[in-house]
Amino acid sequence: MALNTASEVISFARRLEEESAGLYETLARRWPATEDTWLTFARENRKNIIQVERAYYGVISDALEGCFAFSLDADSYTFPAGLLEKTGYTDALGQAVAMEEKIIRFYSEAAAQSKSLMADVPRAFAMIARKREGRVATLKSLPDK
Amino acid sequence: MAVLEEPIKEVLELKNYINGEWVGSESSQALDIVNPVTQKTIARVPMSTGDEVKAAVKAAREAFPDWRRTPPLARVRCLFRLKELMEENFERLSRMQTMEHGKTIDESRGETRRGIEMVEVATGIPSLMMGYSLEDIAAGIDEYVIYQPLGVFCHIAPFNFPFMVPLWFSPFAMATGNTFVVKPSPRDPISQVKIAELIDEAGFPPGVYNVVHGGADAAGILLEHPDIKGATFVGTSQIGRDIYKKCGETGKRAIVQGAAKNFMVVMPDSNVEGTIPALMTSFYGNTGQRCLSGANLVIVGKDDAFYRKFLNAFVEAASKIKVGYGLDESIQMGPMQSPDGKERVLGFIEKGITEGAKLVLDGRKPKINGDYSEKCFIGPTVFENVAPDMTIGREEIFGPVASVMRAESLDAAINLVNASRYGNGNAIFTTSGKSAREFQYRVESGNVGINIGITAPMAFFPFSGMKDSFFGVLHGQGRDAIRFFTESKVVIQRWL
Repeated sequence: MALNTASEVISFARRLEEESAGLYETLARRWPATEDTWLTFARENRKNIIQVERAYYGVISDALEGCFAFSLDADSYTFPAGLLEKTGYTDALGQAVAMEEKIIRFYSEAAAQSKSLMADVPRAFAMIARKREGRVATLKSLPDK
Repeated sequence: MAVLEEPIKEVLELKNYINGEWVGSESSQALDIVNPVTQKTIARVPMSTGDEVKAAVKAAREAFPDWRRTPPLARVRCLFRLKELMEENFERLSRMQTMEHGKTIDESRGETRRGIEMVEVATGIPSLMMGYSLEDIAAGIDEYVIYQPLGVFCHIAPFNFPFMVPLWFSPFAMATGNTFVVKPSPRDPISQVKIAELIDEAGFPPGVYNVVHGGADAAGILLEHPDIKGATFVGTSQIGRDIYKKCGETGKRAIVQGAAKNFMVVMPDSNVEGTIPALMTSFYGNTGQRCLSGANLVIVGKDDAFYRKFLNAFVEAASKIKVGYGLDESIQMGPMQSPDGKERVLGFIEKGITEGAKLVLDGRKPKINGDYSEKCFIGPTVFENVAPDMTIGREEIFGPVASVMRAESLDAAINLVNASRYGNGNAIFTTSGKSAREFQYRVESGNVGINIGITAPMAFFPFSGMKDSFFGVLHGQGRDAIRFFTESKVVIQRWL
């Protein structure tokens, strides 16, 4: 599915944040020993939604290229939002890393496409992408069980 | 993508808002407000009687003395509350605009945001309205200027930005201590009714803000009325010129914004990747129904290869625009606001063909996303080989039609722009500071864009305009608005 308008990109970003938060909440329930890390990520996701929406609703105006700023393929950023019952801890970590990398790619590509068009929105996207890169490093540093 | 929930569920019976009360009209005449996409009637608006228009002015006049004495800080507290209410209702207000006008939800949200920004800037009145003074202009004599409100101002609103345009004026008028009467466009008056509901809730005293519905007759009464100190208008140049004359005859201040024919000048050194989306917004945003829309695309240079490459990219991008119901977030362009507007644009397209321009993208039979009537829809349209003296190169179309021209040099392009009778929002796309500076310096245009396709000024800058695009001296928004809505009283004093 193509994403062209700012409003649908913002809705899609919200969906990615909510789905990835859902995955982290599942991880927290399954592996309570590392619950703090997962719940911190889930909370950050909610803040990311606020950050993105604030940027969009704050800068959108009659002058900006809101309807023409993007040319993204939503299907290339989707990921399995649930965790299979049989999935072990190591595979779950791998799933989280893969998910983060897709979300980072979404934010990075969306930021690049709209950099000359949407002002504050690509800035917010780029900041979240950077934050999530740190998250990937954290995920990779967690000990296997 | 799914269509967002419509906030208007049943037919609204619109009333006038006079002296803090919602008053039904005695008039037997009313118009149906029809959603241009679904073709469903969403509201009925009365064509108010002359007495009702006069009652609104009377209420505003009677509210003025007390409102004027209300300290600026207390006045802006009402505006702060209004701003909060607008934020709380942001999405509902935006969706209503899409329903009554047809614009996309991104465009409606942009309109809401811009309207709120006007209120935000007007809350700075305690600073913005300060006068100035000088001691000892002669020994022991001081002189100072006080800015004072004048009384009742009115606004006659256009249909293309039903929420935002009246807000270019009303917050500044009220913040400076004047009172206000707005006559919304009878084609899409719902937004103004919703603003009045929020103004009521925000606690403005009765009579400070009034809404009276109607058409040309109501506007005429406002313009003739001796208690109206100034009028603001956005619409066609033909009507604007008449309004400006009328205001001159009746001693009213006036801000009159008229039509436009904006040129988008593309230099061969432009950043094509960044320029094309900016031009899509400029030509096709709001379905071309705005006075800052791109109308003529001027591709500069003798390089045929660049011309062809750029034109092909422009046409390809235009041909991909998704047309449909603006409450679907994936839609990039909505319908014309009315069937009349569509017919008018179709007439221009026919003229373009007859006068010899080449139709390279035909929007007369658009592909509409969703099961909607074609009644108001028209797709992106592009003409090539347009001469400046052709009707489509000269007159405001107010629809999604691009007229492509060539100019051998920047100098020739600027001459093309300056030969137009209009001077509203012209832009250049270039990576050369020298070209940009030359364009900015010489172009006869109230608003100038450099790599920006819609030259809409922020609320703290004036919304300018030149030639037949503007009649008046001071502009709406920013410091100009403060000056427009106040009189300079100069005091010279000596104490013996």
